[in-house]
Amino acid sequence: MPKILLVEDNEMNRDMLSRRLQKKGYTVVTAQDGERGYSLARCEAPDLILMDISLPAMDGWEVTRLLKANASTRHIPIIALTAHAMVSDREKAIGIGCDDYDTKPVDFVRLSEKIESLLVEKKVS
Amino acid sequence: MILQNLSIKRKLTLITMLTSSIALILSSVSFLIYDLVSFRNLLSQDLMTQAEIIGYNSAGAMEFKDEPAATATLSALTAKEDIVTAVLYKPDGKIFAHYFRGNAAFSGFLPIHLQKKGSRFEGGYLEVFQEVTLNGEHVGTLFLQSDMRQWSLRAKRYANILIIFVLVSGLFALFVSSKLQGLISKPILHLEDTMRMVSSNKNYAVRAVKTYSDEIGRLIDGFNTMLSEIQQRDTALQSTNGELKTRTQELEEEVFQRKQAQEELLKAKHTAEEANRAKSTFLANMSHELRTPLNAIIGYSEMLEEETRDTGKIENVQDLRKIQGAGKHLLSLINDVLDLSKIEAGKMALHLENFDVSQVIEEMVTTLKPAAAKNGNSIQVHLADSVNTMRADVTKVRQILFNLLSNACKFTDHGTVSVNVDQIKFENREWIQFQVRDTGIGISAKQKENLFQEFAQADASIARKYGGTGLGLAITHRFVQLMKGQIWVESEPGQGATFTVRLPAQVVFEATENVQSESAGKIPAGPSETKTGRETILVIDDDPSVRDLMSRFLSKLDFHVVAAANGEEGLRLARQVDPLLITLDVVMPECDGWTVLNKLKSDSKLAGIPVIMVTVVDNEAMGLDMGAANYLIKPVDRDRLAVLVEKHRVARTSITDTDLVPLSYVAEGPAGRKTVGARVPKTRRN
Repeated sequence: MPKILLVEDNEMNRDMLSRRLQKKGYTVVTAQDGERGYSLARCEAPDLILMDISLPAMDGWEVTRLLKANASTRHIPIIALTAHAMVSDREKAIGIGCDDYDTKPVDFVRLSEKIESLLVEKKVS
Repeated sequence: MILQNLSIKRKLTLITMLTSSIALILSSVSFLIYDLVSFRNLLSQDLMTQAEIIGYNSAGAMEFKDEPAATATLSALTAKEDIVTAVLYKPDGKIFAHYFRGNAAFSGFLPIHLQKKGSRFEGGYLEVFQEVTLNGEHVGTLFLQSDMRQWSLRAKRYANILIIFVLVSGLFALFVSSKLQGLISKPILHLEDTMRMVSSNKNYAVRAVKTYSDEIGRLIDGFNTMLSEIQQRDTALQSTNGELKTRTQELEEEVFQRKQAQEELLKAKHTAEEANRAKSTFLANMSHELRTPLNAIIGYSEMLEEETRDTGKIENVQDLRKIQGAGKHLLSLINDVLDLSKIEAGKMALHLENFDVSQVIEEMVTTLKPAAAKNGNSIQVHLADSVNTMRADVTKVRQILFNLLSNACKFTDHGTVSVNVDQIKFENREWIQFQVRDTGIGISAKQKENLFQEFAQADASIARKYGGTGLGLAITHRFVQLMKGQIWVESEPGQGATFTVRLPAQVVFEATENVQSESAGKIPAGPSETKTGRETILVIDDDPSVRDLMSRFLSKLDFHVVAAANGEEGLRLARQVDPLLITLDVVMPECDGWTVLNKLKSDSKLAGIPVIMVTVVDNEAMGLDMGAANYLIKPVDRDRLAVLVEKHRVARTSITDTDLVPLSYVAEGPAGRKTVGARVPKTRRN
């Protein structure tokens, strides 16, 4: 089963999203802040990361930048999740190295499609 | 000459002196000469008379040869000082008797030839001959010689007098002339003084004083007139100078003030920019804060719905859906506030897609049924058969309908709200027309004026009674404008209102910079008009996010962007807009990129348009073989893309550009791709 790392500081959202993902059959690992997310990404070696951008202390941009700069984690697809609806966020997410982008509140069906597509892609490569 | 350089005073005195002296001397000398000549004649006559008397007196003595008597007669001449010689000659010419003054020896000379009678001037002496007769008989000749002492004395005296007279009169003349020369010289010297004063002090207010009305007087008049004129000009010049100085000062002041104003404006601009940044940050944060709980609400209710369905408790599904619906509506409201601020900033974009109109209407009516029921209203829908699908931003169409319908429900009590949808042809274009009619309170003519303005509800009391932010119609209006549609209202107070929205059946994507100016009252321009002045780029990609990103990016580079979601549409638009270049995705449903490229290159009208392949498929060789100008691999390196499109822009303006070698770029990173492509390490990304 593909393993998904969910980095999200809001407890309710973390709980809700992880349960829905588990229901879909994914193994879900959660982190409530950037640092924990970074270390989990390295030791758990997930197949995909859902990265909330607005995190306390080290934010999602920073974690993404670190992960994409590291050879051992570079290959893990990252989907940025942001509540910021500003135009620049979408461009920034792609520019910083995120593989995809979605806004919160998540449309679960749409998010599932994006996850699936990235996982298939990863498997092939 | 020295005389010429003398002062005018001297000259005048000298001239007067010379003139008067010459006249005086000439007249005196002529008088003197006249007097001396006549005095000599007088002397001569006197001497002759003397000679006659002596001759008569000595005639007897001569007759009788009485020499002593004759000598005695002659000696009587001693009384006559000026007679120096007296000689009596006998008829034979021999001297009979003689007299010499002072008994001296004869000092002068005696005449060689005797004359009978007469007088003559000889050697400074006056000589007289007198015949001596007795009874008519010639007895001898008398010779008298006078040294004209009297005459010499007179002449000397006269000369002295003359000299004294000339000197005295000369002095007098000098006195008079030196007194009178002032008549002429004074005004001239005064004039000269004045002139010197004017020229040295530059004081043009000085005037020469006119003493007499002669030529000099007129000269002074002329000079004064000239001075007045100069003074006038000087004053004018000075006042002009003054004005110039004042104006210069004013200008300097103005420049200073402007500079200050500029600085203030700059400061204000910075403040405004700062405020704008703060506003953006605030909006971003607020949307985050609001969205996070909404995320949970919607997410949990979706989860619950799934679980409820699984456990078979169908009766709860409807309620859960309502929670979801309300949550989503709240989300859309948040989005609208953001949208409005984006519209204000000119950053609103359209996300165009094809959708079923009837489905949207149905959704909206379902959403608004509770609101209608609250006021006891019924909603009626009339959908014309011709209405099928349309291409527009469905979220915005939904929002438009939601706003109009909720307003209708809000302002109508126990009435009917009807929705009419029709497809019409207007100005050679297909339009979808939505009409929302109610039987509510209506709108007055005055209220209509501000109807579509932000935060302008028809009446302040309305806010209290009906609630709402006053943003609904403003956003509706902006959205309609954004999609190049029209909105208007027909209403009478108490007679209900009819809002009509007319949108193009096929909304064409437009760069969004124009939104602000359009909302400021300009007539929306059609797609063919907005093209002018800017080069068009046609983006063919099935992924809306790619189309959106490319549109934004290329719009920033000042291109007009037209986007097509599939190959067929791409080919149609290529013919329609004649773009500068086309960016083409390979992997698309139905008609793929290779097919589109092939069709483009085999059409003589379109073959000249450069095509940049933008794809996840790494097959550069094939692309270039088929005629693509460049080959870029997603995710696109923006800098590279910018360079390429600029080159094509330059190439169009100057065809000679040979630098247009096909460039390719490989990079890592699938973004939103649906098909798998070969993956290349990130090493060449920059």
